[in-house]
Amino acid sequence: VEEELLVEEVI
Amino acid sequence: MSAAEFDVGRGYRLNPQVALRPEPFGALAYHFGNRKLSFLKVPELVELVRELGEHASVEDALATVPEQRRSQFRNALASLANSDMIRPQD
Repeated sequence: VEEELLVEEVI
Repeated sequence: MSAAEFDVGRGYRLNPQVALRPEPFGALAYHFGNRKLSFLKVPELVELVRELGEHASVEDALATVPEQRRSQFRNALASLANSDMIRPQD
């Protein structure tokens, strides 16, 4: 089961 | 700090240098110090982050999350700690 990432980082 | 070093026994809080802006998907978190931008992709996580400082430990805060999602939220908090969005309570 691939866990959905709740945090995405990027300026 | 790596995710493995994230201590759920400690209390954490939102970094004062971070602004949270509500969005339809959750929130944008902008760190004015390191200029990182994070997308918090579910409203429940935003609520957890906002209330983190009111709990004695991350573990206590995670107790408010449904059990089947706890691991996912713990990883999200570890990621936020890694980028200094949240930091240990004084």
